[in-house]
Amino acid sequence: MQPLQSAGYDRAITVFSPDGRLFQVEYAREAVKRGTTSLGVKSREGIVLVVDKRPTSKLVEPKSIEKIFQIDQHIGAATSGLVADARAIIEKARIEAQVNRITYNEPIRVETLSKKICDMKQMYTQHGGVRPFGSALIIGGVNGKGCRLFETDPSGALIEYKATAIGAGRQVAMEEFEKKYEEDMTLTDAIELALDAVYEATEGKTTPESVEIAVIDAKDKKYRKLSEEEIKDHVEELLIRKEKEEEE
Amino acid sequence: MKFNNIVYDSHITENKLLIASNEPKKEAKVVVLQPVGYPFICNLVETPKIEVFNKELFELYAQDQWEGFTAKEGSYLFDQKLLPDYAFKVIKAHPDESKITQNTSILLVDVLKDSEDIQKIETQLKIDDVVGQEQAKTKCKIIMKYLQDPEKFKEWAPRNVLFFGTPGTGKTMLAKSLSNELKVPLYLIKATTLIGDHVGDGARQIHELYDIAAKNSPSVIFIDEIDAVGLDRKYQSLRGDVSEVVNALLTEMDGIKQNYGVVTIGATNNPSVLDYAIRSRFEEEIEFKLPEEPERKEIIKNNIDSMPLEVKVSVEKLAQLSKGMSGRDIKEKLLKNSLHKAISDDEDIVEMKHVEYALKNYQTEKNEPKGMFA
Repeated sequence: MQPLQSAGYDRAITVFSPDGRLFQVEYAREAVKRGTTSLGVKSREGIVLVVDKRPTSKLVEPKSIEKIFQIDQHIGAATSGLVADARAIIEKARIEAQVNRITYNEPIRVETLSKKICDMKQMYTQHGGVRPFGSALIIGGVNGKGCRLFETDPSGALIEYKATAIGAGRQVAMEEFEKKYEEDMTLTDAIELALDAVYEATEGKTTPESVEIAVIDAKDKKYRKLSEEEIKDHVEELLIRKEKEEEE
Repeated sequence: MKFNNIVYDSHITENKLLIASNEPKKEAKVVVLQPVGYPFICNLVETPKIEVFNKELFELYAQDQWEGFTAKEGSYLFDQKLLPDYAFKVIKAHPDESKITQNTSILLVDVLKDSEDIQKIETQLKIDDVVGQEQAKTKCKIIMKYLQDPEKFKEWAPRNVLFFGTPGTGKTMLAKSLSNELKVPLYLIKATTLIGDHVGDGARQIHELYDIAAKNSPSVIFIDEIDAVGLDRKYQSLRGDVSEVVNALLTEMDGIKQNYGVVTIGATNNPSVLDYAIRSRFEEEIEFKLPEEPERKEIIKNNIDSMPLEVKVSVEKLAQLSKGMSGRDIKEKLLKNSLHKAISDDEDIVEMKHVEYALKNYQTEKNEPKGMFA
């Protein structure tokens, strides 16, 4: 006999448990943990987004596993959790960005966009007949006030980070960030740090094919995905560095 | 009862009297009896629990019915009054083979329930055989030290410890090895047996358990799957006696009666359903984690030696393949299945293909939806 931990309070998302919890929303956060690790790091020269995407089979085309998305010229997002939900959110985010451009004739602020996404996520925790989104987003971008990096979770909570991680390896990656993050990093440093964290989170199973990197440079304020060659260089450098560390 | 069959009865009585009169016995000074029970079990009679309420009265009662009987160590005396044919064993008679008279002092010792409750497990396990789980092992060593010298710790003694963690990580194994190494009684209790058939049994059995443990202190009580008795009281609706059982456990673990010298170890793989008050009584909650790679290597090494076939796969490789498995999974699901596959294929060596077969089976057990998450 396994008693129900949540004693029926997880049947509907709109019902609080007596101690004030929303179980369905918490379960949605578990869905995020089922996804592979995604990370974001803020540096003085821009934002770095790195994702780990382990193909489940040799036959899968690695490119088709999408975890990093461009939302607007100056904003990118890394996701983890339910793929389909992530795509739905990205779609809404892209529209919001365009609406902003058309309405105000200026690029949307990263904070504004993140809040819009959170507003939508929040709605799906309060209305009947729907279910919360099963994915979290790391939204990074550059606007007038500099680099911003936000994390949203299925509850619609929004927190700004200097460096953050979502998905299966969150805990490990965050520990790595806590140890090594510095305020005054260059973009290359940030990529290095993010790859270090991916390496730890995947227990050393990092290959050039398994990671994807995007940067938003503070200078040109443009989202750019790193090419395969660039990623290969970075990952090889990481592997050499890790080998040296182990020897020591 | 003897009176039912007069012929045999008189015969026996005669015999007894004969023995009594034939032997020019010395007078027994002290006779120590132990209640044993009826010669056979049947549904009609329930073996009663015998406890002396008044020593003086019992002595009179015993002298009266067994006067003239011979008290020989190891022999039995049958009760003829209150519980006809209930047997008492003479465990001590001074002098031996002497006659019971009105002056003999007759004592009754308690049934040592230990024989039932201490489940001496036939195991050669040592605490160090448990791989990893250093925190738990340290705690076990502290408990061992405490039991060797309870005076030293006084009120700072270890009292209640909770082991929790995923199944197969060695909670029960550690308890077994502890019982092997300890020289004091260890009551290894399956929590499910504490519940009992009827409402009310649970609380009574818990109190009895602690009474016995306290009598034989220092001692250790290990309650396996403690969530069966320590269920959160909000689950009252699931099982009618939850509150009562929990309250019994609460008072015993740290309540009005100070159970000095009794260490309770609880084990569960689902600590979140435990009653919060019970959890608060555990001074330490020790998590049993899944083994890391070096620990898995050690587990595999320990198990491979006893396998009947030779294993041609390196320990390192196996340790890599068994990522995410618990100690039990490694033994039961990986090694055992590989071995069985090799045996069923009539081969003498366990090879990689057999391990792959076992692994394939293991993975289908943990089937995750593919492609939904990224």
